[in-house]
Amino acid sequence: MSDSEEDIIEGSGDEGEAMTASEVLQKLEEAWITERISPTLERHQSELVDCMLDQINQMTENLKRCKKHDFRLAIHKMEIDRIRYIISSYLRVRLEKIERFAHYLLEKEANTTEESLAVLSPHEVAYARDYISSLESHFQSLVLQHVPENLRTFDAAKMSVKPNMDSYIFLRAKQETQGVLLEDETGEGRDEEVDLEEGSQHLMRYKPISHLLHSGAVTLI
Amino acid sequence: MDATEIEFLAEKFPITIVPNFAQEKLYLISGDVGPFNPGIPLEVPMWLGMNLRQRGKCRLVIPPWMDAEKLAEKKEEESQSKVFTEMPCEHYLVVAQLLLSAAPEDIPNSQQVKTLVKDMWDLRISKLRSSVAEFIKIEGTHAKLDRLTLLEINSIRPFLPHAFDHLHRLSKAAYTSKLSQTQEL
Repeated sequence: MSDSEEDIIEGSGDEGEAMTASEVLQKLEEAWITERISPTLERHQSELVDCMLDQINQMTENLKRCKKHDFRLAIHKMEIDRIRYIISSYLRVRLEKIERFAHYLLEKEANTTEESLAVLSPHEVAYARDYISSLESHFQSLVLQHVPENLRTFDAAKMSVKPNMDSYIFLRAKQETQGVLLEDETGEGRDEEVDLEEGSQHLMRYKPISHLLHSGAVTLI
Repeated sequence: MDATEIEFLAEKFPITIVPNFAQEKLYLISGDVGPFNPGIPLEVPMWLGMNLRQRGKCRLVIPPWMDAEKLAEKKEEESQSKVFTEMPCEHYLVVAQLLLSAAPEDIPNSQQVKTLVKDMWDLRISKLRSSVAEFIKIEGTHAKLDRLTLLEINSIRPFLPHAFDHLHRLSKAAYTSKLSQTQEL
């Protein structure tokens, strides 16, 4: 048969949980939306991306074998295009953020020892390092060589841009959460505690809810 | 996010179609679809339904909420209520737009439906604008917007979050400079 069966794919190996292709796609979509909206770089989902790329390649192979069923072919191709769009948009957003926050991210990565909390995938780490060194050599050859000796230092740390964790974002609560503490940094003593009901939508700063985002209790919209 | 991306997301939602051809099950990556039998309605994702309709291979079944009477009732409800009411479908504007462009003949009273949906959208957006103005005036730190749909939320992005970022930054700067002044004294 030319159509590929729905595969059962091994998940991230902790519990050997198997996810179907459609679940992987759903998770990838959520990761894409989160990455688009979040002010900082989220944890990398390279497993989901690789899995989807595999699926696409498999499907393309199958389609090659099956000749000219005209509209069935077109439908599968459309779906492949849709998935490819999500993947490339996701990766592009991540690259943009890596270029903007390169130094900050590499520092954070150096301090993270646990694999599951890693924000950058190995390829992205290499990319970030290359980017910083290219930038540095570019500045050297363009400007710094030609200025007097005492101004020649390149301090990457001073040039690093940190993501704005206080940006406001829209979110939807997937689980009921009591007592989210919104600290008031303007010193007016207006610390607020908010209860998030399931299914409710809110607008608030990223920082107080980032831990909820990582635990899956809320999702960005 | 763009409006086009939201349309992309909305296209995943199911719609009922009545095919005029026969086909076994299609094993798509995002889920199985089919089997297709002429005259028997089934659910497919919207992007698939749109494409099939454009090729003349099916008829679209209009979702039940897109009826002129029901929409008129909803619009009444929306204009009476001071807060936002629950919308029949999360992506009502996108679905209406797609269906009206692809298959206007399948929809009874399509002109009326179009005007009603547009009116509802305008009502909700104007409510949103006035509540945003209120919210900034009272310098709120957190807002609850339960029954707003994605496209409406997107219409005030990036203005609203950026405005709040700036307000937050300004008040924080004012606070830290006040602190440092008091520390000097």
